[in-house]
Parts: sequence; structure tokens; C-alpha cells
Amino acid sequence: MNRSKTNRRILMAVGAGGLLTLVGFLGWLGPLRWVYDHTVTPVVTGLTRAGSTTSEALANLGHIQNLAADNQRLTRENADLRQRLAADAETRRDNELLRTQLGLEVAGAARQVSAEVVAFQPDSYRQFVTINKGSHDGLKPGMAAMSEGVLVGTLSDVQSGTAKIMLVTDPEFKLAAKDQDSGADGILQGQLGSGLTMDKIGQDVSVKPGDTVTTSGLGGLVPAGLFIGQIQAVDVHKNVIFQSAQISSPFKANKLRFVFVVLGE
Amino acid sequence: MKSVRFAILLAAVIVVQIGFLAALRPFGVVPNLILILVVLVGLAGTASRALTAALIGGLLLDLTSGADFGLRLGLLVLLALATGLVHRAGLDLTGPAVALVLVALATVVSDVVVLVGLAGDTTHWPVGLVVGQVVIEIMVNLGLTLAVRPLAHWAVAESGPAIG
Repeated sequence: MNRSKTNRRILMAVGAGGLLTLVGFLGWLGPLRWVYDHTVTPVVTGLTRAGSTTSEALANLGHIQNLAADNQRLTRENADLRQRLAADAETRRDNELLRTQLGLEVAGAARQVSAEVVAFQPDSYRQFVTINKGSHDGLKPGMAAMSEGVLVGTLSDVQSGTAKIMLVTDPEFKLAAKDQDSGADGILQGQLGSGLTMDKIGQDVSVKPGDTVTTSGLGGLVPAGLFIGQIQAVDVHKNVIFQSAQISSPFKANKLRFVFVVLGE
Repeated sequence: MKSVRFAILLAAVIVVQIGFLAALRPFGVVPNLILILVVLVGLAGTASRALTAALIGGLLLDLTSGADFGLRLGLLVLLALATGLVHRAGLDLTGPAVALVLVALATVVSDVVVLVGLAGDTTHWPVGLVVGQVVIEIMVNLGLTLAVRPLAHWAVAESGPAIG
């Protein structure tokens, strides 16, 4: 092949790349995404399951010696949670009775849609997953996604049959959060390396390790009271307006298989 | 026949990258098999084949990703062009050294570009962790380069350099 023909091909390829990027920036990728969702996604779903299962199996191999201790700890935790659940049920009944007597609306359970994770973010630093439900199932950008009772992220991009979840550990993730024990409000923010912090906490409130952090319900489509994690450490600096806290969340991004999207009441 | 072999390899690499490797995350990182393929095809085959791999692979990576649309496509197209220039420079391509150097450099550049994009949103930089992650990603990518090189050669090689 002569050189001018090769150069023409190279120019065409570079032009096509530039055009595709421009189309993406202008938000005109709808048809392309539809084709992708109906061709590539079904093909990679099986391999995603295989990758996820292999990853989990490898992680479990390293933790086999801790299984007995974990089992004992979980049994204790389970008994404690059953006790708390019984107490909560009693409180809920009292709450509903009082609301009825005062003529207030009784809060219903949030509607949820279950979805399977069909693809993970294909690079190391951003934290997104793709699920197999979309706008046809009532999903909208900004809705909360939960897994095993823990907030895992919010919907960032919703197509007709799929949606992307920005995980709480993505460095661009931000959400209003609340320390349930002290009542302190703050902003939950993801960090590089899958960390999680609660920032913008006023200096006048006392937050401490072990406190439970939930969503505050301020702004957006995420309801209040969804469990996020517990405070692990508090960073207090005397000469700044706010304090921040590191949060430990029980969810592991690479173990996500199924999620529940909270549609609202 | 060569086009069919190239198409099969490209499809297999894309599916494994998007489906399997992204979920597996060996050693906590996601290796970039498409980046590796672009380098190997650019060195063993032609620039237009490398650009085809970069365009299709980059576009599908961007469609799978939840952020930064166009970034992967742009980086891979630039990498294909750079690999084409290296190929034309008349370096000795019989051994894997040039491919390994290019893959390591491309891994660092792509990581730096993503991290620079996050600079405005990140309040805390765990420098040790990030450097460790980049190093692990380079090591995994280099291992995969050696593993995939014979396949890339089978799919696109002219009668030129042999596997060293």
C-alpha cells in the first residue's frame, strides 16, 4: 500500500475519533448507546459474572482462616440486631399510632426495583457499575441504589434498558448525609482508593467513631435514612470552620452482583 | 484471512476487557488489554489496523464507562499514531522490549490523565496508594503484553519481525 493512501486512512480514522468524541460531548449518543446496550451488554454480562465470581473466590481464599472468628462475630451481631429490630418495630407502631391520632400522613415503605450488575467500570480510578434496568422500569438519574441494606451509589446515566450507578466511593460522588447519633449534617464524598469521607460538619457538634451515618434526604431523589456506614475517625482542626470524618462502608464494589434502586414512596 | 483473524482477536480482547477483567480487577487494578493490543498491532502490523483497534476499542470503553466520554478513545488514537511513528522509525522490533516500553509509558500517561481530571474533586490524595496502584497496573499490563504478543503477531504480522 502506498504511503499517501495510508496517510489518508490515518486522517480518516483520526477524524472519525474526533467526530465521535464531539457527538458524545453534545449528548447525541442515544442511538449508539441503544445499539451498545442491545449488542455488547448481553455478550459481556456472562463474562462479568465469571469475573466477579472469580474475584470473590480469590478474595475468600485469603480469608479462609478467619471464617470461624467471622462466624462467631456475625452470630453475636445477628442476635443484637434481632433485639434492636424488635425494639424498632415497637417504636414504629407507636409512631404510626401517634401520627394517625395527630392527623399526619403515615410514611409508607419506599418502592424498590431490583437489578443485576452487568458491567463494571473498565479502569482503575473511577467507580461506576452498569445495571440491567433503565427508564422503562421507572428509573431516573439521581435515584439511590442499595445493596444488602447499604447505600452503594446514585444513578448517573439512565438509558431505556440500562443505567449507570456512580458508586459512593467514586472521587466525584457527593451527597447530603447525616450523623444519626449527633444529628450533624455534612456532605458525603468519595475519595481516591475507594475511601469515603463526610465533610462540612460544623465544629459545634460532637461526632465520634462508631456513629451511624445515613442519607439526610436534603435535595435530589435520595430519601432520608438510608444506611451509608459508620464513622471510623474524626479529623478535627481548630483553625478551620468545618470538621470531617472518615466513614467505613461495609459494601465492596467488586462484590456487587445485585442492587435495589429506591424509587420513592 | 488476516482481516478475519484481526477482527476475531479485536472482538475477543474487547469482550474480555469489558466483561471479565473489569469485574476481576486482578491485584485491585483493571489492566488495559485494548491499550496493549493497539501497541502490539501498531508494531507488528500497520498503523491503520492499530487505529481501527483504537477507534473501536476506545469507543466501546467510553460507552461502558460512566464518566469522561471520549477520553479513552482520544488516548488510544494518539497511542496508535505514536506506535505508528515508532514503527516507521526503523527500531529493532524483533524482541518485546519496544512493546513493553510503549505499554508502560502509555499506562502511566493514561493514569495521569484520569488523575489530573479528578484533581478538582479530590480533597485527599493518598499518594502512596495511587503510586502503588500505577506500579501494579504497569506490572500487570507488561505481563499481559508478553502473553498477548504471539496472538497479535498471528493476527496481523507482515513477514517482518519474528517473536523474540
